Amino acid sequence: MLEVELAGLKLANPTMLASGILGTSGAALKRVAVSGGAGAIVTKSIGATPREGHPNPTVVEIDGGLISAIGLANPGYEEFREEIAVAKEGGVPVVGSVYGFNFQEYAMVAEAMQGYGVDAIELNISYPNVGKAGAFFGYREELAHEVVSEVRKRVSIPLFAKLTANAGDVVAVAKACEDAGADAITATGALRAMAIDVTTAKPVLGNRVGGLSGACLKPVALRCVYEIAEEVSIPVIGCGGITTGRDAVEFFLAGARAVQIGTAVLYRGITVFRKVSREIAEYLEEQGYGHVSEIVGLAQR
Amino acid sequence: MHEMQVVEIKKIVRETKRIRTFFLDLDVNAIPGQFVMVWLPGVNEKPMSASYTRGDLGITVLRLGDFTRRLFELSEGDLLGIRGPMGRGFKIYGDRLLLVGGGVGVAPLAPLAEEALRDGKEVTAIVGALTASELLFVDRLKRAGARVLISTDDGTAGRKGFTTDVLAELLEEESFDQCFTCGPELMMAKVLEITRSKRIPTQASLHRYFKCGIGICGQCVLDGTGLRVCKEGPTFRDKELRRSHEFGRYWRNAAGQKIYFGRR
Repeated sequence: MLEVELAGLKLANPTMLASGILGTSGAALKRVAVSGGAGAIVTKSIGATPREGHPNPTVVEIDGGLISAIGLANPGYEEFREEIAVAKEGGVPVVGSVYGFNFQEYAMVAEAMQGYGVDAIELNISYPNVGKAGAFFGYREELAHEVVSEVRKRVSIPLFAKLTANAGDVVAVAKACEDAGADAITATGALRAMAIDVTTAKPVLGNRVGGLSGACLKPVALRCVYEIAEEVSIPVIGCGGITTGRDAVEFFLAGARAVQIGTAVLYRGITVFRKVSREIAEYLEEQGYGHVSEIVGLAQR
Repeated sequence: MHEMQVVEIKKIVRETKRIRTFFLDLDVNAIPGQFVMVWLPGVNEKPMSASYTRGDLGITVLRLGDFTRRLFELSEGDLLGIRGPMGRGFKIYGDRLLLVGGGVGVAPLAPLAEEALRDGKEVTAIVGALTASELLFVDRLKRAGARVLISTDDGTAGRKGFTTDVLAELLEEESFDQCFTCGPELMMAKVLEITRSKRIPTQASLHRYFKCGIGICGQCVLDGTGLRVCKEGPTFRDKELRRSHEFGRYWRNAAGQKIYFGRR
């Protein structure tokens, strides 16, 4: 009822761990797969060189979500090889998230990750909190096209592009990615946001601004998925504020074939993937559907 | 939800030359072993164990790096941001309790001793430091009614040597229902080795580099277990730590690279 095929990957259920949550080590990823029940796991975004990221506070809780600015912290792709090996012990598809400061870095790290045995690559052109990396390549269709093209030349495994709603025209960016050879679109990453402490009159985050995630991002992400799914023929993966099975169903109805869950780990624990899967199945049964694929894009018609 | 609360420093107590306790205008009822994230606006935010867990929150800090140096420049009346208390605290089992604390690691053990003694338990505390003037909370533990055994690396007070030397000798003579430890990780690894051989269940409070502090970023996950130090910890059972090839060997820096503990 819940198993899906996504750009050639076979998932036992359509819930995936979103990049940036718990994905810093193989041990954490494996736990999300084994105990958490995720259908696939996406690593933290990995780059060409080690990065410590931004100073704390890196995360601030607000009503309806989080604002965070970890700052693309990662140990560098070479040290991440052994983490992938441990993550694969989880027994579900492992998606390697990759960021870069230029096209060459994206391509080099993606090729290395393919060599480490990941099942797919997700290009992070959505992360908004480091100047000329991540979302810098996702704001405009020309740059997005070039990143995907450069990586496509070097990797043969499925290639996802994760987009940002901060883009001027997210649908145009999605179409550019499809045209450049992407196999799926993940929509969307966090939106630029901030929080200020009124007692000290200072921004709370060490980076001053961060990315908004959680329930308050959901309506925006849902709209992006709806508009993108109308215009591209490759699968769309919904991401942004999905906390319950009902949230996931909304994304399927909008046209998503799978969903990514991140911030909801805070509210419902690591087993949120298992819980959301069960709730999706309950909805399908109640409504008399036999398989999740039957509801994909229903709201489009 | 763990909102950031910005509160005044009510009182600062100089415990030793390098250790101070900051009492905050924040009424708490925390479990000993729980931690708070301490925000120094415009500087950084770090995890600290609660050293006073009832009434005004207290944190006891060793001056070590840039963050703690800036913290030591603050005065009573200055502001700090606090998230928490959070994480899993110590859990008391049995009647005869043994505490092993090294350096500033005594901080979460002192309120644990007080709580246990209030509940009528028998508490023996082994307290160690580099030198006599750096011993923490010895009087506080004695006042609460604990038996205190001391070690110093240089022999200026108590037994010359390490807390683990005192522990090994003590366990030749006596037994305990439960052991609690906090201090340098290599010390705790040795404590666990000794108590394991004597079959004394042991809880240890771990220190790791924290980012989110609420269990979502993955920075502090222990290899071999998948357990999050900020969420399932910072206190762990010996059984849990036995599954981790990370404990006692390395930690991960802000980039997630492995940093191996220096060999003693």
